[in-house]
Amino acid sequence: MQKETEPESSTTVKREVATAARRERRGASQWAVAWRRFKRNKAGLAGLFIVLFFLFIALTSPWLAPYPPRSFQALYEGEAGQPPSWKHPFGTSRAGLDIYSEVLHGTRGDLYVGVGATVVAVIIGMVIGAVAGYSRGAGGDVLLMLSQVFYTIPLLPLILLFARVFSILVAQGFGLTLILLLLGVFGWSSVSFIVRGEILRVRELDFVQASRSIGASRHRVIFRHIVPNILTPIIITATLFIAGNILTEVVISFLGFGDVNTSTWGITIQEGITYMRTEWWTPVFPGLATLMAVLGFNLVGDGLSDALNPRLRD
Amino acid sequence: MEDLLDIQGLKTYFFTEAGVVKAVDGIDFHVGKDEAVGLVGESGSGKTVTGLSVLRIVPRPGRILAGTIRYEGEDLLSKSEEEMRKIRGSKIAMTFQDPTTSLDPLYTIENQLVEVIREHQKGLSKEEASEGAMKLLEMVGIPEPELRIKAYPHELSGGMKQRIAISRALASRPLLLFADEPTTNLDVTVQAQVLELLEDLREKLKMSLVMITHDMGIIAETTQRVQVLYAGMVAEVAETHSLFVKPMHPYTEALLQAVPRIDQRRELKVIPGNIPNLINPPPGCRFHPRCPYAKELCWQKVPILEAMDDGHMAACHFWRELSLTGV
Repeated sequence: MQKETEPESSTTVKREVATAARRERRGASQWAVAWRRFKRNKAGLAGLFIVLFFLFIALTSPWLAPYPPRSFQALYEGEAGQPPSWKHPFGTSRAGLDIYSEVLHGTRGDLYVGVGATVVAVIIGMVIGAVAGYSRGAGGDVLLMLSQVFYTIPLLPLILLFARVFSILVAQGFGLTLILLLLGVFGWSSVSFIVRGEILRVRELDFVQASRSIGASRHRVIFRHIVPNILTPIIITATLFIAGNILTEVVISFLGFGDVNTSTWGITIQEGITYMRTEWWTPVFPGLATLMAVLGFNLVGDGLSDALNPRLRD
Repeated sequence: MEDLLDIQGLKTYFFTEAGVVKAVDGIDFHVGKDEAVGLVGESGSGKTVTGLSVLRIVPRPGRILAGTIRYEGEDLLSKSEEEMRKIRGSKIAMTFQDPTTSLDPLYTIENQLVEVIREHQKGLSKEEASEGAMKLLEMVGIPEPELRIKAYPHELSGGMKQRIAISRALASRPLLLFADEPTTNLDVTVQAQVLELLEDLREKLKMSLVMITHDMGIIAETTQRVQVLYAGMVAEVAETHSLFVKPMHPYTEALLQAVPRIDQRRELKVIPGNIPNLINPPPGCRFHPRCPYAKELCWQKVPILEAMDDGHMAACHFWRELSLTGV
């Protein structure tokens, strides 16, 4: 049998190379590797910057904005319908809204809906997808069918219908949370497909079998070995979901089904679109904000999916 | 001498949508103390499923239907899941084919070894367990274990991963190890090292080894006795030497002919056809559609496993008449 004996010089060279390689890579978890690759992706970094910027605004908007949400103060100051100026950087609407303040407050509203609806959808989708993937039998089939039904339902008309019905039946002020819940409750199906598929894939991998073969309990196999290994596609999907949900919220508000008592980009666009010809600033600034936020989350999602893709090893 | 493991009439079927796959269809198999037994056959012959059945971790929709599995005289099939969990790893362990997937990519080597060590030695502190992990790495000959222990699986080579997978299986000193194709996905030079390691460990730890493989070369090198499986049934059982010199089953002959030899200039013979569909296996002897010696009797009657004087057994109607070529 050949032992690992080589000429002295070659061994030394090898050891040096190995040491250098180790310095570079030692103890790099998958997350560390992913972050290193994400950092090299300029578009992804730009997206991350945009997302962090909007998150900062969402958290601080009550202090940043010169006017409170839905305040028509400018009307009383005789400054309604004015183009951008030093006092009103994004102008004022015909009704007297300070657009700059509305965009800042809208950031908070839209991220609330976008992130919140995603959390709801991911939770529902994970539970249903996990059960569908783990139980082989009628139960799993029924859940798969349920996901398919939800996948085929045209989301927007349904949400519009529910939003209108609820806003008539239920008290006002529930508006944004209602939209958040509707988006989540009807939007989980693609998450459940991903989770189901991933569980079917991961559960067949040798390390799952191996950990059972050395006496790991079912609970440990699921929560220590299966769940962490299906997280990456869920994270990627969730990021893209946030972008989609923000956009849908804007569409819902634009179509007049939103909550007029809360500042969102969609509401401001909707209120300004009629006078677009003369007062372009009212819809354009919230529109730009929407564009930037959706772009940011999409860039982060794409960057993550590249960074976390095991097939794109460096 | 009593056998460490004794399997009688094991049937493990998979209830798929396409039908019932009879992956293991009435197999007898036994392993003595300190013995190295080979389990040979093509993919789909039931080798791996036999190992999974012993540990009772056959993935669904598979189920053990019939048979007895005795380990040190105790019936494993009548044990509760909780009792089985204590046996897995501590008494019987298994290593898996693909070293690139048999370690969880998300945890360091230390993490994964500590997990196993503490599973079977509940009182151990984390520090004691990671000391144990270090010893395991030394045992399987990992160079610079103090560096590797902090590594993640993707940072290691295939051979190293396989060594670590073996060390994990041996963490609680089982007396019986199923090594499922331990070298299939490794380079040839690394293969030899891993086989040598298994042989060393078997002697050092006084354990029995079941070598699951399709490679007759590995069988020759590492085992004392061989059991040849074909399509979920036993084709031949013999001492390794006897099997190579004097095969009694046409399938074994075909397997031996399919091994490349550098000392002989001859064309490599392949076995015609594929392993049969195990939902509807061929009637009679399952090998008859591919057997060059097949006669009418072969598809009419299932051959029984007959023993010769020296304990050599074969399931072939015509073993007396055929004179098959060994190596």
